[in-house]
Order: sequence, then structure tokens, then C-alpha cells
Amino acid sequence: MTVDRNYKCRVQKPEDFDEFWSNIINEVSMVQLDPLCEVDELRSTPEIFVYEVFYNSLDGVRVSGWYAVPRDLSVPAPAILLVPGYQSDPPIPKDWAAKGYACLSVNPRGKVRSRIQFDPGYPGLLTYGIVDRNVYSYRGFYVDTWRGIDFLLSRSEVDNSRIGVTGSSQGGGLTITTSAMRSEIKAAAAGAPYLCGYMDAIELTDTYPYQEINDYLKSNPGSLESVEQTLSYFDGISFADKIDCPIIVNIGLQDNVCPPETGFALFEMIGSGDKQLYEYDGHGHEAGRYVHSAIVDKFFEQRLKGGL
Amino acid sequence: MVNVRPSDFGRFWYTAVKDLSDVPIRPEIEPIPIRSTEFADLFAVRITSSGPYRLQGYLSVPKGEGPFPTIYYVPKNASVLEIIPQGTSNLIRSRYVTFSLACRGMRNSDKPYAAMYPGQLTDGISDPNTYMYKGVVSDTLRGLDYLMSRPEVDKMLVLAWGNDNAVLAAALHDGVTHVVTTPAYLFDTMDFCQMTDSYPLEEFNDYLRLFQDEIGSISTILEYYNLRWHAQSVTASTLIMSDHSSGLLSPKRIRPLADRIAGEVTVHESERSSYRDGLFAEKWVTSHLIGDGAEPIIPGHWV
Repeated sequence: MTVDRNYKCRVQKPEDFDEFWSNIINEVSMVQLDPLCEVDELRSTPEIFVYEVFYNSLDGVRVSGWYAVPRDLSVPAPAILLVPGYQSDPPIPKDWAAKGYACLSVNPRGKVRSRIQFDPGYPGLLTYGIVDRNVYSYRGFYVDTWRGIDFLLSRSEVDNSRIGVTGSSQGGGLTITTSAMRSEIKAAAAGAPYLCGYMDAIELTDTYPYQEINDYLKSNPGSLESVEQTLSYFDGISFADKIDCPIIVNIGLQDNVCPPETGFALFEMIGSGDKQLYEYDGHGHEAGRYVHSAIVDKFFEQRLKGGL
Repeated sequence: MVNVRPSDFGRFWYTAVKDLSDVPIRPEIEPIPIRSTEFADLFAVRITSSGPYRLQGYLSVPKGEGPFPTIYYVPKNASVLEIIPQGTSNLIRSRYVTFSLACRGMRNSDKPYAAMYPGQLTDGISDPNTYMYKGVVSDTLRGLDYLMSRPEVDKMLVLAWGNDNAVLAAALHDGVTHVVTTPAYLFDTMDFCQMTDSYPLEEFNDYLRLFQDEIGSISTILEYYNLRWHAQSVTASTLIMSDHSSGLLSPKRIRPLADRIAGEVTVHESERSSYRDGLFAEKWVTSHLIGDGAEPIIPGHWV
């Protein structure tokens, strides 16, 4: 199958997009972060402290995370916000700590350890409240990840001027939205970005998780317009022009989960002048990870450690 | 480390299987219209496993007249229960009965026990009678018991697909005719966990760092689950998805497992591409369950 590199997604950024998100940012700013950070002796190693983290987010939802820090960290240190995939359990980021970063791996609402107050399940998260932008699942889910930056800013060992964000699949989509909405992000690496070009993706694939939306539309005839309207506020492509930090994006040309066409369309819309796309032919949703991980490492070394 | 098969290995598993057989399955089945299509119906299934413990799974049945070849997606070491694995063409449900089961601790089967990930692999591991994974194995087998009761299932074509649990399923239940496995944590666990700091094996390292005095007893307990000792009971045609040649579970390192499996074995060395590896697996499954001339059902971007 030949991939159209000039593919244009149908999403139209709403005129009140900035107002919509500004109101939400104002709303969450009223919620005390109230961070809790406790050493997890079981997961810590002689080289790395692992902490279990909790903080408050939108609607008062308590969000958890894993925070890993080298024991011999030279402070202030660069930091990474690691954002999770759709179904996978957020990892304990000891690998990032081993590279010299303070790293927070976020469990947004609905994930294990963050599901007491909100739990639409899987399948389910992608379509929960999808006809109303004010209750759609990703309204809080996005904010939970952005609040991870507030957690990092609250840490004395973190250099606030050297924070990056990365993730793949849903983590790639969250990397896009986070780098768009948080000016503290100085470098971003998005892999196989999900949540970008939703309405195109549901026609370009027949695989889950995007299939959840097709299931929903089939069971809720007449909802197409409101679904499309809601998703336009959450589509990574709508956020992309706000990104102004250095960013790299990698996609697999045989990606069976997040269609590469949506990756090309997203990349075209990214506002940053310092952006680079890595295409991996012969690769699926892993998007060339085995080669690309070294590129990501080097990118953050240059951008957050000054190439040291 | 020298791997030693426990002297009571056979009795341990005979007793576990016998105890499970004494527990009535008591299935409940409920249609899920939103996930049903013009080519397949989806059902939520609830069954009882050892404990007793109530489990949930997703059963998809093709429209039309069966019986159909069947894919059993065995329980995972992860919290989320999928209908079919992410990235699999939904059309696969038009050809196969598919059944995915959440073992105890996973979502949908997490009451009263909600596992943590990491956490599931070492929960209660200090005692063979409290080790949670014994229940996970029972759950895996119970899923097969349920499938064997379904008239839509072609009993001659039942594939167990997943991680280490796919091997355990084939070794301990005679309903499995084919296996696709990606071993990750139950083959010579104590050896491989020393060679990595990545999860899931890192979970054992975490535990042993904190409870060093238990290393002897933990090693013994894990031998009951070691795929090395279960392999000889696997008569199913088996595809082992190994790591790349430089990976932890490379073809060379996985060879002792492959050599012990009694059935026909194919070892596929990862090409470090989910597309290429996935395509290989889909073609293998299609040729073994449908026939050599059949086309695999694959996602559009793989064509």
C-alpha cells in the first residue's frame, strides 16, 4: 500500500479552540496540586530512586505516576515527562533515570493507580462523553499529563529550563498536546502519534482502538456531527500550530494502529521551525523504535544537556 | 544457575488441574451490541475459576454456520483486556471465534483482587501456595474449559496465542492444537532476569533486591512454572516469536525451549518490525488453521 505523504486530514480547528482550553486551564489552576512523592523501596535500585507520585488534577481527580531519579543526580538536572500509550500500563522510567534525567511517568485518569474517580475502561476511554466536549474523557486526561509539568516544576532537583516530553502512540499524541500547551517544554519527541486526525483514522484503519469510534457511530446513528465537533477540540492537529519548541516525530509507513497519513498531516501542521520527521518504511506501529530510540536519546542530549 | 525440575512437578500440576476441575464453570453470557458487526457477534462471558474466582472474557463468534477455527488470546501480564489485540484487523472476527480472557487481577476480573503492573508476577511468591500466578495458570486453563463447551468452536483447530501462558495452556490442557507464543518471563526466569533491567523480568530483580534471603525458595517456586519443564507436554504445532539475534530471548537462547517441545516447532527471529513480525505470525496462523492457499486477514497498511 502506497502512503500519501501529502494527505490532508479533514479536522477543522474550531474558532473558539483557544478560549475552550483557556477556560479549562483557568479551572485547573484553581485546584491545588498537593503533590505526594514517596520512595518505593521495592522498585528502587542502588543507582536509582523510584518514587510513587500523586497529585491533583481537573475535577479534583487524584492522578498517580512513577518518578525515577538517579541517586547521584547533579542538580539542577534536566527532566523528562514520559506520557503513556492507550492500553499499556505506564512504565517505571528507570531507563530515563539511568541516562541522567529526572523522569515522571504519568498515569492519567482511568489508568491503573488513577482509576478510583474515573474509569471508562478499555474499550471505552476513546468514546466516553464523545458528543460533548465539556465532558469528553480526554478533557481531563490531557490536563492530567500537563499537570505532570507542574509536578516537575515543584521539584527542587529539576532544572525548570530543561524539560522535555516524549512518548509513543497515545504517548505520541500526548507529546503533541503537552508541547503545544506548556511553554516550559524545551524539546519533544513524538512517536507514532495517536489522537491526531481521528475522523480520518477511523476510515483508514479497521483496528482497535480507533475502531471504538466506528462502533460508537454505528450504535448511535445521527451522532456523527457532534462527535466530529467534539473531536476537533481534542485533535492533535488542532494543537500542532502552537508548538514552538524543537520536535522530532517518527512514524512507521506500515503502521496498522495510527495511520501514517495522519502522521504526515500532523507534521505539516506543527508550528515549530525546528522540526524533523523520521519515516520508517517496513515498520508498523513500533515506528522503527529499535533504530529511533538512539536518535531520541541524542536529540534530548543535545537539547536538554547541551550536547554533553 | 542450574535449572532443576522439582521432584513433585507432576503432582503439583495434577493437583492444580484436579482442583480446578472440581470447580463448576457456571458461565454467563451477555451480548455486547456496540461491538458486534455485520460479520461477528460479541459477548461478555463470565466464568468461575479456582478460588472460586469470577473472571470475564470477550467471546466473538462469526456470523454463519460453524464450527469455526478458534483463537484464544490467553491472559496477559498487563491490566487491560482487549477484544482482539491492538492493531489486529477487526475482520479477523469474520473467520475465527476469538476469546480473550482477563485472569484474576486484570481489568474486568479485578474484584476482589486488583493486580498491579508491575506486581502480578511476584505477588505472594514467597510461598508456592500463596503465589498468585498459580491462580493465573488456573484461569488460563479455565478459559479453555469454557471454549471446549462451545458448539461454535472447531475442537480440531484451537490456537492459544500470547505470552508464556500460551505454552502453559498447551502443556496443561489437551484442547490446544496450535500455539503462538512470545515468551517473556517464565523460561529460565532466574537466569534471564540477571541479564536485564527491563520489565517484566525486572520485577523479579526488584523483589530479590529487597528479599535476598528468599532467593533459594523463589528459585524453587519458579521452576514449577519454568517453560523448560512444561515444553515436553506441548504436542501442539508451535510458533515461537523470539527476540532479535542480539536480544535477550534470542533464537539461540530460546533453542533449549524449542528443542523440548514435542510438537512441530517454528522459531521466528524478530525482524525488529511489528509489521514484519506480525505479518509472519498472521501467515503462519492462516496456513495452519485455514490452509496453505488461504490469504491472511491483515490490516490495510500491511497489504
